[in-house]
Amino acid sequence: VSDTQKFVVSSSPHIKSHETVSNAMRDVFIALMPVTLVSIYFFRFYAVLTIAVCLVTAVLTEILFKRLMHKKPQLHDWSALLTGLFVALLFQATTPWYKAALATFIAVGIAKELAGGLGWNRFNPALFGRVALVILAPLYAYVNQWFQPLHIHLGGLDTITQATPLAMLRAGLEMPPVSQLFFAFPAGALSEVSPFALILGAAYLLYRKHIGWRIPVSILGTMIVLTLITGENPIYHLVTGGIMIGALFMATDWVTSPFTDKGKIIYGVAIGVLVVVFRVGFMITEGVAFAILIMNAFVPMIERMTARSQFGKIKVVQVPMAENK
Amino acid sequence: VEVKQFFGGINIPHYKSFTEHKAIKEASLPEELIIPLLQHTGAPNEPLVKVGDKVKAGQKIGATDKFLSAPVHASLSGTVTAIEPRLYMTGQMVESIVIAVDKNQDKLDLVDNDLDKVTKEDVINAVKEAGIVGMGGAAFPTSVKLNPPPDKHVDALIINGCECEPFLTCDHRLMLEKPSELLQGIKLLMKMLSVEKAFVCIEDNKDDAIEAVRQQNDDPRIVLLRMPTKYPQGSEKHLVKAAIDREIPSGGLPFDVGALIQNVGTCVAIYEAVKFGKPLIERVVAVTGQNLKDPQNLMVKIGTPLSHLINECGGIVEEPAKVVIGGPMTGRAQENLDVPVVKGTTGVIVLPPDMTLEDMDYSDCVRCCKCVEHCPMLLYPNQISIYCEAGMVELATEWNTMDCIECGICAYVCPSKRPITQLVQRTKPLIRELLSKR
Repeated sequence: VSDTQKFVVSSSPHIKSHETVSNAMRDVFIALMPVTLVSIYFFRFYAVLTIAVCLVTAVLTEILFKRLMHKKPQLHDWSALLTGLFVALLFQATTPWYKAALATFIAVGIAKELAGGLGWNRFNPALFGRVALVILAPLYAYVNQWFQPLHIHLGGLDTITQATPLAMLRAGLEMPPVSQLFFAFPAGALSEVSPFALILGAAYLLYRKHIGWRIPVSILGTMIVLTLITGENPIYHLVTGGIMIGALFMATDWVTSPFTDKGKIIYGVAIGVLVVVFRVGFMITEGVAFAILIMNAFVPMIERMTARSQFGKIKVVQVPMAENK
Repeated sequence: VEVKQFFGGINIPHYKSFTEHKAIKEASLPEELIIPLLQHTGAPNEPLVKVGDKVKAGQKIGATDKFLSAPVHASLSGTVTAIEPRLYMTGQMVESIVIAVDKNQDKLDLVDNDLDKVTKEDVINAVKEAGIVGMGGAAFPTSVKLNPPPDKHVDALIINGCECEPFLTCDHRLMLEKPSELLQGIKLLMKMLSVEKAFVCIEDNKDDAIEAVRQQNDDPRIVLLRMPTKYPQGSEKHLVKAAIDREIPSGGLPFDVGALIQNVGTCVAIYEAVKFGKPLIERVVAVTGQNLKDPQNLMVKIGTPLSHLINECGGIVEEPAKVVIGGPMTGRAQENLDVPVVKGTTGVIVLPPDMTLEDMDYSDCVRCCKCVEHCPMLLYPNQISIYCEAGMVELATEWNTMDCIECGICAYVCPSKRPITQLVQRTKPLIRELLSKR
């Protein structure tokens, strides 16, 4: 560096777009607002408490783990808050708050931070946290009694005692009208109250180009085809359970989905197949979450198999030769 | 005419409004010229003059007998005051001839040749003597490019008037103001290459230039193509793909698919060299940017220091972040304004901090795929950046890092602000080393 240097010298390109990870994460947060508001409308304080607990736990967990690993917390990138909100939306409103907090701790602390932080996690953190509690259920039942005194009673709510529509569907009960299930129906996890609100949010993300059509369309398309083949009503399968938040928000997660175009379709179709197998074949709960997490593990393999060839990787072009040749 | 698209690319705001409607203005006489002896791709020139010598405008002052080279000329008359290493736009010190410019300048000695009588050898000699190099920025000696290996048959001449980089307007103004010179240059090239088709490619954000060239064109063999405005439309691989739908193989050159590309500025220079015997001693430079008081398209003598051009444009207002020679996507940042304009200088851009975002830290890849979506070479810049950052040269090679044209789109779009292009630039020499060992 000479002493006459006046301006910054660095290599090209010299201009950058104003798009940042924080902006994108904030957009996802905004996209989740419609369904969050509908769930708060139905479940009142129950929803507010669950969401608040998850957001606070997410932030504290990120700070704790970053400190433990001598890194600076990256709260400004919104990813901890987003994971917290996602975990909250995967639980029913009546879930004890410490259960939601434990799931958030596992999601942010283990699935994300211990995996290397945002960008390095192989599995979707929120789903990982949610499913961890399902798998740890026997253990949790044992631990539950310690936490019992911490349970907060918020009084009764009519809506929360209802069976989830997916359970009703399985039990062969008479279903509420599709329009009600689609726009707003107070049962199941917070995110299951309104597929319409989720589609609204996803449309915003699509418009902002944060997600693409390939993954949601291939998941939902596969589900429609397979449910028709197995003689189920595809409409009911699309408007019940976690399929909408799964297909629109969880499977489209940047970090844990394939970066190849063909790979996105393979990934989506495979998730669709697994969801139908779990739902129709085995009657497993949390089928969508398991399907997505299983396919998360295959992402690197799918990417390797479907990588496009670069420009100029072509068969030799025939160029007309000169006359005298 | 329908034009085929290439995959990828991006619409970057083009910021051309600063200078696109300003006519080319002759820059005033600088006090001093700094003429680097190496301003092309190839072998450096040897000085033909000594300190203290009087030189005339247009006089050849540096040459070499190496094949891949282009001589340099005195752009103005004056006295040689030094032959010493001076700061060049790459940041290196390059042996340069420094000339104190005379107050009174004589007119150039020009001839008037009959273009119908010139032969292929005449053109190549005139181009070589005039020191013409590719004026789009690459600065490859044109006399060499016009003489492709005998086993390569060229059947399409492509004239690059895309000027896809933001800010730059020198080619735009040249097409607008010198369309007939451009067309005569094209006809000359078609004749000497015995090519039956020429394609003049201009992006659709320069419709006035397209119209100006169309008005003057009387030759049906010269096809005007209105290209979609999309960066990097002017990249030779993507231009050939879009114009004649041929894909240059990985590691190949345009003549591997029978194409020869010339920049519009080079075409005009070739015409002037062959017709009038005029050496390449001046060129149009877009001096522009938000932090400049009065941006201009200037006709600048080669060797003029940047500081003179900045003064000519009213000086810098507010502290800029960067001064860049060339376009903002592929140009070179300058540490100070002592650097001279050379044959390949398309523009001088004074960029504000809110465009360079120089202080922003970068973070890990979040796999958003924006770079994958826009990469015109169909690579996976996300993976490449991770391997380059970690020094995993083997994997970087496997993911085709060498095919990268360093257009800069990946680093531009990255929401994590990862310096992807810069990481590639840093890793390419390591890959070359690795490949040479295999």
